[in-house]
Amino acid sequence: MNLVIHWDLEISVSSLPLTMIQLHRVTKYYEGVPALREVSLSVDKGEFVFVTGPSGAGKTTLLKLIFCAEQADEGQIIIQGMNTFRLDSSSIPYLRRNIGFVFQDYKLLPHKTVFENIALALKVVGTPHGDIERRAYQVLKKVSLEAKRHLTPPKLSGGEQQRVAVARALVNEPQVLLADEPTGNLDPQSGQDVFSLFKDINMKGTTVLVATHDWETVRKMQRRIITMERGRVTDIGQRAASATALQPDAVRTGAKSV
Amino acid sequence: MKGYGLFYFTAEAFRGLRANSLVNLLAVGTISMAMVIVGFFLLAFFNLQTSVNALGDRLEMSVYLKDGLTERDRDFILTRIKAEPGVKQATHLPKAGALELFRKELKGQESLIDGLGENPLPDSFEVTIHREYADRISDLSEKFSGYHGVEEVSYGRQGADAIAGLLKMITYGGSALAVLIGVSVVFIISNSVRLALYSRGQEIELMQWIGATKGFILGPFLVEGMLLAMIGAALAVGVLAALYYVLPPEVALFLSRPNGLDFLPPAVVAYMIAGGGLLGLTGGLISASRFLE
Repeated sequence: MNLVIHWDLEISVSSLPLTMIQLHRVTKYYEGVPALREVSLSVDKGEFVFVTGPSGAGKTTLLKLIFCAEQADEGQIIIQGMNTFRLDSSSIPYLRRNIGFVFQDYKLLPHKTVFENIALALKVVGTPHGDIERRAYQVLKKVSLEAKRHLTPPKLSGGEQQRVAVARALVNEPQVLLADEPTGNLDPQSGQDVFSLFKDINMKGTTVLVATHDWETVRKMQRRIITMERGRVTDIGQRAASATALQPDAVRTGAKSV
Repeated sequence: MKGYGLFYFTAEAFRGLRANSLVNLLAVGTISMAMVIVGFFLLAFFNLQTSVNALGDRLEMSVYLKDGLTERDRDFILTRIKAEPGVKQATHLPKAGALELFRKELKGQESLIDGLGENPLPDSFEVTIHREYADRISDLSEKFSGYHGVEEVSYGRQGADAIAGLLKMITYGGSALAVLIGVSVVFIISNSVRLALYSRGQEIELMQWIGATKGFILGPFLVEGMLLAMIGAALAVGVLAALYYVLPPEVALFLSRPNGLDFLPPAVVAYMIAGGGLLGLTGGLISASRFLE
């Protein structure tokens, strides 16, 4: 009996995919103009990766494809073991529930309070009413904004608004966090705050992929850097030695058994 | 979608209705006016149908006699009529009596008869048929028409047939109009819902980004469309009821209680409102499905 349980456990652990995001020769055109050309890359579970490059390099397009906001014209994209080409439109919302997205312009609803903005993210996934207040409060505490939960976003600073956006992205505990120029509109200090939030989130096992051209922060953080230029990946970057060490225990066990 | 079913959609729909109150007020007003026309036709239809049924159910017939018959001839005809199975009662209504009856029916306008000069009404027998023979009434009429000395036989169902012709016209005309109005209601609702969708475009886009299903996003808008049309239909019923119960007959044309008409049966009122809801749902679906494409 014990032997069977052990065998099951080993199978389930060893079959956990280590790769969270994988792109294979992905090309995307906008009105005939290529925005991405034959991009191949992979991001492991629990990794923290920066995507950098000048404007028009294809960073945003890359994130949109991962998030299924756009469809690639060529190539394959596999997220959490699911091929996005095979997903029908009704399955996309369920994939997105596992991917938090942080936008440069925050995308908060200005007429709703901070709490309501967070609550909306909980409601769309069907969180029971009774849990919404507690979970929204917890996540706002994580970004140190619990005291401002009754204010509307226009009454907050840019940095605070971005922290609300991060809280909203995290409230459903996604496995992946994507951020597109999250500090683009922030002063350096607020930018630092947001990046340390990302670091904390990553420490707890969430895979983080940040598109930015904030070189200073990227260098300071010492994580893998994927460099893009004119729609191509010019440097895939070195996986940080700490990446595996930061993974959750279960994944780490699985990694050893493979 | 646990915990976010119809109750959530309805609460959100009311929020949406309040947010675009002016647009929605206009939509409801237009819909209710259109539905008043439908209700007007329904009222006419149901009242005519009642008349047709009532006339059809009448178990009486008038056997008109030719002029110049002797009393013996008349008695002979009467005996034959009475001998016919199914005849319950047959009474003689002489020319003078018929004129007197007519005069009573024309109460207030008797001068019309005075202008006629000689009494133009014929002698007749008023025949009542047993209820069990109701379906043989046309056979009996045909039989009596064949009797020597009988000019013509008329019975309620003939009047019923005439009204049934009118009813048919109203049914066809009303149905065509109802379809037209139905399409208009769908169009009005789809426009109102489209406006609501555009006014909350930012919120909808965000909901898509954070993993909301189509049903969760569109549910409140569909309920909003349904509510708009149902409120419009209920208002239309209110307007018709006001015409029927409150206004004097001269103002309400023939749509009034003092004229002896019935109001729409409760089931028809319920169908009108439910039908409005269905049209609203269709209008909402058209806009909503296009919007997310």
